[in-house]
Amino acid sequence: MTDLAVRYRRKTTRHEVQAAVPRGAVTRVHVPDEDAKAHLVTALLKARTEPGEELELFGESAAELERPRRKQLLARVGAVSPIVGLITNLNAWENIALPAAYHGSPPLEQVATLTHQVLAAFGAEPRDFLARIPDELGMLERKMATFVRSLVATPELMVFDALEDGLSSAECRYVARFETEYRARAPQGTVLYVDTREDS
Amino acid sequence: MFQPLRELEGGIKLSLNVAARAPRLRVEPIFESFLRQVYFTGVTAATGVMLRACALGAIIIAVMMDMLDADVELAVKILLLLVFREIGPLAAAVVIILRTGTAVSAEMAMMRISGQTRALRYLGIDLYDYLVLPRVAGITLATAALTLYVQFLAVLGGLVLSPFLIEASFTELTDRLFDLFTPVDFYYSVVKSLLFGFAIAACCCWHGLNPPDLTQNAVPKAVTRAVTQSAMLVLLINAVFAYLVFGILFFGLIKANV
Repeated sequence: MTDLAVRYRRKTTRHEVQAAVPRGAVTRVHVPDEDAKAHLVTALLKARTEPGEELELFGESAAELERPRRKQLLARVGAVSPIVGLITNLNAWENIALPAAYHGSPPLEQVATLTHQVLAAFGAEPRDFLARIPDELGMLERKMATFVRSLVATPELMVFDALEDGLSSAECRYVARFETEYRARAPQGTVLYVDTREDS
Repeated sequence: MFQPLRELEGGIKLSLNVAARAPRLRVEPIFESFLRQVYFTGVTAATGVMLRACALGAIIIAVMMDMLDADVELAVKILLLLVFREIGPLAAAVVIILRTGTAVSAEMAMMRISGQTRALRYLGIDLYDYLVLPRVAGITLATAALTLYVQFLAVLGGLVLSPFLIEASFTELTDRLFDLFTPVDFYYSVVKSLLFGFAIAACCCWHGLNPPDLTQNAVPKAVTRAVTQSAMLVLLINAVFAYLVFGILFFGLIKANV
């Protein structure tokens, strides 16, 4: 039996969404509409389900989780999603460093090194990039900042929610490299792409 | 119908939550946010009130001496009582409500509506820790500091400008001031301004985090509610404080005389 990172099921009167994501694999889940996508991503980010939903995260049922255990599981999940956007009154660096500074781990020096490495890999000039607030960043740059912020915690499960939405075809080639960057830092990690498009 | 009760309950819960989390101010991003709040509330507001505070003291002395035909001692006494006990804390509270209260409630309502508060929760960041605590602590401290600043400038302005308006020298006024000043005036205004600051900050944070709905139209509604209720809270605290300090003493004296 395959070891699953995520098992999800949601049944409504209109449709049924099911997802089984093996650990360490790259999985693409196509859902019928935005509402279904928001439910799936929200369930993963909260490790919590609503009526009609079932979720198992790293083999544990979300319905039976105690608060501390839920917190531990959530620390293993990262996401690049419009649901977890940037904070508009903080610049890019403050946004990237905020979770690490708040939780006290990893050290900010480590976050700075990782940020510079990733930005360099994408050809961005760190000093200029990191000083700008989200309103001064383009869509691709905002996704990059969100990606780096997620990468800092080296999550076991990385969720890419509608990664290519709002991007040009040239920019889509950039974000396609997010997976490579993630793999370089978490070789055993699981990648989940969630999309509403049927052709992707 | 139950909205005022819900707001009261929410305000009390928020205040208790903030008080319980005070030690979290040591966490780096929370402390940075606290410093930022002190800067925006206290430091940037300081230049705007300078001239008005100076004029306030001079006007009080001039009016007392001209209209009430008071002597120097009475004029300075009234200056001290008015500036330290009433007008100083109230003037600072008005400035804080208009400058910071509006900004905080609008900022937090925008964050709530645009999903940024949800993003913070998903990052495992507690909203009370990161948004409410530094704002409440920063505004409370800055209100006390701004009150002392307004009082200092008003008294200084009264002493420096009054010799141009009335027949009293600077030295004469200063001597009377040092004779009449008591530490009680200072403690009274500090305690009152801390309460004002806490009430304004808690009220504005609560309304910012609980807008009437999640549309753009909710932002001005949240700001209006925050500002009007902050002003009412300040007046209520002022009345309760005045009753406790002057009222009980005052009625006691009446009874003694009768």
